This record gives sequence, structure tokens and C-alpha cells, in this order.
Amino acid sequence: MTNSDMTCEAFDNALPDYLEGTLDGSLRASVERHLRECVRCAGLVRDLENIRDEAASLPDLVPARDLWTGIEARITAPVIPLTARPERQRRLVPAWIGIAAAALIVSTAGVTYLLTARSMRTGSDGRVAVITPATNSVTPGATTEPAESVGASGSQGIPDQSATRVQTSTKPSRSGVPATLVSQDQSEPAQSDAIYSREIEMLQNIVKQRKTQLDSSTVAVIQKNLEIIDAAIRQSRAALAKDPASRMLNQQLTHTLDKKVELLRTAAMLPAST
Amino acid sequence: MAAGSNVVPVPMGDSTDVALAAAGDRQAFERLYRSHANRVYSLCTRMSGSRTKGEELTQDVFVRTWEKLPQFRGESAFSTWLHRLAVNVVLNARKTEGKEASRTDENDVGDDRWNEVARAPMHIERMDLSDAIARLPAGARKIFVLHDIEGYKHEEIAELCGITSGGSKAQLHRARLLLREALER
Repeated sequence: MTNSDMTCEAFDNALPDYLEGTLDGSLRASVERHLRECVRCAGLVRDLENIRDEAASLPDLVPARDLWTGIEARITAPVIPLTARPERQRRLVPAWIGIAAAALIVSTAGVTYLLTARSMRTGSDGRVAVITPATNSVTPGATTEPAESVGASGSQGIPDQSATRVQTSTKPSRSGVPATLVSQDQSEPAQSDAIYSREIEMLQNIVKQRKTQLDSSTVAVIQKNLEIIDAAIRQSRAALAKDPASRMLNQQLTHTLDKKVELLRTAAMLPAST
Repeated sequence: MAAGSNVVPVPMGDSTDVALAAAGDRQAFERLYRSHANRVYSLCTRMSGSRTKGEELTQDVFVRTWEKLPQFRGESAFSTWLHRLAVNVVLNARKTEGKEASRTDENDVGDDRWNEVARAPMHIERMDLSDAIARLPAGARKIFVLHDIEGYKHEEIAELCGITSGGSKAQLHRARLLLREALER
């Protein structure tokens, strides 16, 4: 405290604006008067001004290692070109290829719908819904699914139905049947697997045929995303093996399989490389 | 400047390299990187409080720059545009770091963790300003770096950080007080 008309507490409150130089004239005069008489507050202002000045003159830091290598690796990595670079030329492809791809996709989607609808009708009409505890054992590793490559031929990368079928009657269908309601003959999960497998296989064949028309970087990105999705599928199946009755896990698996189908459909419909 | 460049120095200004890099010339882009890496790295390191994080963010900044370069219209200096982009990359990275980051944002005025962290080494040896800045709470550090080191105005910081100008002033003052305490002035 000083003889001035300002207390140290009032000074502290005014300090931010004083340092900013935004105090009005009379208040600024009070602050300056206080500063002339108060050692504590004068020292505080001096220290804060020094910090401010020193910060403004800090030299640039230098990375301890060369960061360019990592940057270069990333900018040369394949990415889906959202905007065509000016030097790139559009490569024309026959229109019938796109039309054929679209027709195939409509066809596979239709087949999926019909099979799924039939599966659901059959389940509700002809089978008894049961609830069973999730105690059935599943062979470890039986749910693994190999990573796939874009355009993999044949059954490569397609879920192996014999391997992926969980050996329990509590495994729900991925075609919309409630999680704990399953058919006693266990045919519905298998049918659901078959539908997804068939759809995925057909789409993969389309993508394989179109592979040469797509930008290589696009193909690489699709491949990478498929690997991610396949990993998620494997994780869901592994978790389901431990907890077959989990509605959440079944929904997750269904969602992931849908994502895979969606990605493949998108890939099949992509315009040819620009 | 980091070692390891094979790029032949070309006596050109940024504008030529910017145009070349925007058209896909990676050597031109490397020259831009070499010119601006230290400044960007300094910003990233000081704002994140970590050299390791600063390196990661610097790489993110330049990858983002490469992607956005075709959109650069030259309405400001390239260095200004790059700097603003770097600030945005750092701020966005902090947002995605989740709860920890958000907890230390504008509302971390009462964060006592700083004292625990910052006081410990002070009894061993005097801390220099850079160390003390790195030990500031994230919210205060961000504002201090942007205002006192990088020269942004409170209004600009408020816009960048999605806070009020008053909040920026309060955090700055808090940061300076904490630094004073850390530096034992």
C-alpha cells in the first residue's frame, strides 16, 4: 500500500490493460503514480515487461532431425486426388464400361435385397425363436479373416463361411433379426454370411475388372481402406466368438460388412482415372 | 536448418517456388520447406510444449501446405498464409486430442497442475524462458505464444481459438504471471 489513491489490489486489476496500453488517461495516471511509490508493483511490471520483450526476441528453434524425409514420403504417398492437378490429362474410356459396372451393382444390390428379404420371411414363418445363453465355445482363431486386396479374385478375402460361422445358436442374423432371436437350425447366420460373401465377391470382381481404369493411387487407398475394414471385421468376429449374444457386436459386424460392401460399390462406380 | 538436403539452391523468391510447388514441383516445395521449416517448427513446438510433438506437427503443416498450395491465391505473403495454416493445424490437433486438451483451454484458469510440474525443477536450476513456456498450461501457453512470440493481436487470437478477446487477454496475463513465478524473477 502506498500514499497514492490506488491500492495494490486495484493496481493488479488494472495491470493487464496497463501492459496492453489500453488504459484511459486518468486510470493510467493513477497506475503510474502507484508505480512510482510501490516497489512491489514496480517490480512486477518490470518483470512482466521483460518477459514480454524476451519472448518477442526468442530465436527460431531448429529441428533435431531432418523432417523433410517424412514430409516427402507423405506427399508422394498415394491419395485420392480430389482436384485434378493442372498437368494431368483426362483419359477417356468407353461409356459402356461404366454402364456395365452400374448394371452389375444394381444387380448385386437386388440379389442381396431379395435374399435378405427371403431370409427374414423364412425366419419368421418357419422357425422358432429361442434365447440361449452364450456359453458355447468357439475354436480360437476360427473367426479370422485374411486381409484382402482390391480386385482379389475368386474367394480370396471372402469370409470363409465354414470358418467364420460361430458355433452357437445365439448368433443373430445380420439381416435385421433381433440379436437374441435366431433360428434353431443355424441356417440364418450362414445364409447371412453367404449373402455378404456373394455380394462382396461380385463387387470385387467388378473392381478387379476396372482396376486398370482407376488411378493407381485411388486403388491403393481403396486397398488400404479395405484392409482397415477387414481388420475391423476380424475384431468383431473375434469378439463375437467370446460373446455371441451381444447385440452390439452383431450390429457392429453388420455395420462393418455393410461398409465393406459400400466401399466396393463406390469403387466399382468410380469414374475412370482422370 | 536440418541437414540432408539435396536440393540445389535456386536464387528465387518464394513466389516462384510457390507457383512451381503448386503445380506439383516437389523440389520447389522442398526449397519452401527449407526456407520456412524453422519458423514453423518453432511455432509448433512452442504451442505444443514438446519438441517431439513439434516435429510431428511441422510435418503435418507441410503436408497440409502441399495439399492446399493450389488454392493459394497470393492475396497475402506466402509466409503469412503458411503461418496461419500452421496455427490452424496446431489448434485443430489440440482439439482432436480430446478431453485433456479441452480441459486446459480457456477454462483452465484455475489449473493447479502447472505449479506441481513447473516448480519441481526450479529448485534444481533456474529455468530459462523456453522451458518455462513449455511448462505452461496448454491454454495459457497457446495464447502467450500467439501473442507475445508470434505477434498476433487479441482479436485475431480470439477468432483463431474461438474465444473472446477478453479471454485471450486474461490468459495472456495469467501466462505472464506464471512465467514470472517460474523464472523466479
